[in-house]
Amino acid sequence: MSILSVKNLTKKFPVKGFWFKKSDFTAVNNISFEIKEGEILGFLGPNGAGKTTTIDILLGLTKPTKGEIIIFGLPFEKNREKILKQMNFSAAYVNLPWRLTIKENLYTFARLYEVSDYQEKVNELLKEFKIIHLRDRLTNDLSSGQLARVYLCKALINKPKLLLLDEPTVFLDPDIADLTRKFILKKVKELGMTVLFTSHNMAEVTELCDRVIFLDHGKIIAENTPSGLAQKIRFCRIRLAFDDTLTGKVKILLDNYHYQYKLSGNYFTIETEEEKIGQLLGRFSMAKLKYAQINIDKPTLEDFFLKVVRENK
Amino acid sequence: MSIQRINAMIIRYMYVWFRSIERFMWSFGWPFLDLIIWGITSSYLQKQSITSFSIVTFILGGVIFWNILWRAQNEMSVNFLEEAWNHNLINIFSSPLKISEYLISAIILNLIKLIVTVTTLTVSAFVLYKFNFYTTFGWHIPFLLINLLLIGWSAGIFINALLLRYGWSLSELAWAIVFVLQPFSCVFYPREALPVWAQKISLILPSSYVFEEMRSILFSGNINWFNLYLSFGLNLVYLVLSIKFFYYMYDRARDLGKLVKLN
Repeated sequence: MSILSVKNLTKKFPVKGFWFKKSDFTAVNNISFEIKEGEILGFLGPNGAGKTTTIDILLGLTKPTKGEIIIFGLPFEKNREKILKQMNFSAAYVNLPWRLTIKENLYTFARLYEVSDYQEKVNELLKEFKIIHLRDRLTNDLSSGQLARVYLCKALINKPKLLLLDEPTVFLDPDIADLTRKFILKKVKELGMTVLFTSHNMAEVTELCDRVIFLDHGKIIAENTPSGLAQKIRFCRIRLAFDDTLTGKVKILLDNYHYQYKLSGNYFTIETEEEKIGQLLGRFSMAKLKYAQINIDKPTLEDFFLKVVRENK
Repeated sequence: MSIQRINAMIIRYMYVWFRSIERFMWSFGWPFLDLIIWGITSSYLQKQSITSFSIVTFILGGVIFWNILWRAQNEMSVNFLEEAWNHNLINIFSSPLKISEYLISAIILNLIKLIVTVTTLTVSAFVLYKFNFYTTFGWHIPFLLINLLLIGWSAGIFINALLLRYGWSLSELAWAIVFVLQPFSCVFYPREALPVWAQKISLILPSSYVFEEMRSILFSGNINWFNLYLSFGLNLVYLVLSIKFFYYMYDRARDLGKLVKLN
């Protein structure tokens, strides 16, 4: 069952001249996608791709120029209150009132989402996120790692059916980011939530998301599983270490066959298509160039990201 | 309409009110200082004057009534700005809270705070200057108060609507707007004291009728009810227009992506 369905969504912003409107800037360009129940969908793309604008539209903060948004089977604009009660949101660029304690902030949002027995639920969440000892501390006094967990508590306060997370780990150190990802995965499984997730951290997207939509200049340019997108990159990176006495000969061989490579010390990093790895190694063998060490890096989502971004520049 | 959501917003601002020194000053401190300064000034003028008319009563009445209008507008706008300062607007407007619930919560909160401010001012005026606000204006008080509250709310909602659409560049208006209204409201002088062009502006300001009637009560003990009805009628028109303007600007802000940018 589809929890969220977006059809032909377009958002244009006017670009103003000194006095009058000069032109339109298209932030989201006729995109359509769906999220199935229980799915974690990743939104990927460079800065300005249209990820945050799409999320703002899904939250009702920005009005679309064109298109249809159906959430929980209901048109969004006509059922805003009903839909938002079952959704929630967290983003790195959104804070909570800093002069309120954690408990007061969470109580406020629990009341806004009309959560029953909210005091108990707030305590449960704080315990799960291991920040119960901070409940009476002012929001202003918390570290960014602690805040990230508080924001997630706020986002989970109403046990949302659809959770939108816009770069929730962007300002966190790797350890806290990893912990946060584990929390998200655990809660998503427990509550059977559907999640729309944006991040610039490719490893994070690969770890969390069932499916990825790649946006660039407001358009969807690819949609697949994280590994499916990575497989669209046919080049592998092979790192070979040779004895110092052989580097000259290796360079001649690689130049003769027009391979792309980088040399660092006695390490060669060669880019070649996956099916041609055997041929490359055969050439070394024929030339009696024995390597001391070999590493083959398969393409990742990051390679796909970089390829697409560079091609579209 | 959800009582729980309205309650959530009221309690959220109450938390800040109890905790923040500057909010305490806005509700108690500055109005109290205002009263002290004007009280000393008017007491001095009274001593120098040969008139039997009580200048202290005249000025302090104006100060108390003016603070009601000022606080009604200022609190409304500052609470809105507080959400933007805290980067919390997105959280608020992406929750199920309706605009109508937001506005109702702001008005109720405003009333609660004003009760505290008015009590502080009237008790202080009585203790320091023997000015009894309640016996002076008697049963006219609610009719004068409601008109001042309504114009304060209309101005506050109007400013919030402008902030939604035009953002930080207009944030100064949250403090300045009442000082634009003050000269035309004739707080401390009669309308006739204004130049003719300014008198015309004061005629469309509901607050000017309230202050005229306040003085009429002090001078003669009489009140011209027509002026208060006129003030109330103008207030209703301005309140409806300001709410409609807020909805319109909210819609425009969503259309232009300004709501997110204000955050």
